[in-house]
Amino acid sequence: MHPDRYQHISDTALLENFYADKDNLWLGILLQRYTMLLLGVCMKYLKNEEDAKDSVQQVFLKAIAELHKYKVAYFKSWIYMVAKNHCLMKLRDRQGKAPAMLNEQTLAVEEEPLSAQSHLDKDRMLDAMSLAIEELNNEQKQCVTLFYLDKKSYTQIAEMTGYSMMQVKSYIQNGKRNLKIVVERIIKQK
Amino acid sequence: MNKDLLNILSNSSKDIDNQQLMDYLSGKLSEDEKHQVEMQLANNDFMNDAVEGLENVKDKKDINLFVEQLNRDLHKKLLRKKHKKQKRKLPQQRWVYAAIILILALLIATWLMIVKYHALKLK
Repeated sequence: MHPDRYQHISDTALLENFYADKDNLWLGILLQRYTMLLLGVCMKYLKNEEDAKDSVQQVFLKAIAELHKYKVAYFKSWIYMVAKNHCLMKLRDRQGKAPAMLNEQTLAVEEEPLSAQSHLDKDRMLDAMSLAIEELNNEQKQCVTLFYLDKKSYTQIAEMTGYSMMQVKSYIQNGKRNLKIVVERIIKQK
Repeated sequence: MNKDLLNILSNSSKDIDNQQLMDYLSGKLSEDEKHQVEMQLANNDFMNDAVEGLENVKDKKDINLFVEQLNRDLHKKLLRKKHKKQKRKLPQQRWVYAAIILILALLIATWLMIVKYHALKLK
């Protein structure tokens, strides 16, 4: 299998080819595109290289079996969900706890950007964002501003603020989520 | 007003290729390139989880080896499945051919008998 040869074919087209002739070759090409990401996801949850490799193989097998049974619309979100659920199951087996499982619907549709949802013009959106950013706590405001407006990397932000990389990431992620909530509230109020 | 504010909630997410990801993990990218990758990570949970996990691999050089090994195994498994499928198909096909030959033979025999019967009748 030479994945480079098929680089121009989209995930959806590869899946359509597979559904048309049921040739596993298409699944091979598709799954190979995600091997590294799947390995990373499994490493994040299982924190063990051998377990992670093992899990990627099992995710592949599961994906091959499931794709023969039903059609998948958003492959990338779906395979992420399969891998994450597999790891959560493994963790449950290890710890004897039942983790919250994801389902396809929660991940299938990519989150719609707020600007598209509300059909607001750019100026109104900018006004709302400027107000919203002031409502973030200091840490989030500082990290969001440095990351999105000053275009600094995580490392640079960590050096400038004295926060750890993990804190920087978390302030950016939480800040972004809070911004969305505040912007939605401001838009509704107007 | 800074127009980059709009980028915060834009959710535009381009795919990062494996090489770029490896360069990011190995610290080979400039600060500007790092920021570009991180912008994608902030918009994409799958990619973000993957990077956090790959950062836990002790020797980053192993990542490519693991990926190659996993891809080789995947290829082998898919080939084995294909051969099994073909083997299952062959006996089925043999029965189909045998049935066609039998039906044809019966049709020819019936036709010959009818012809013979008519010939005898004419005599």
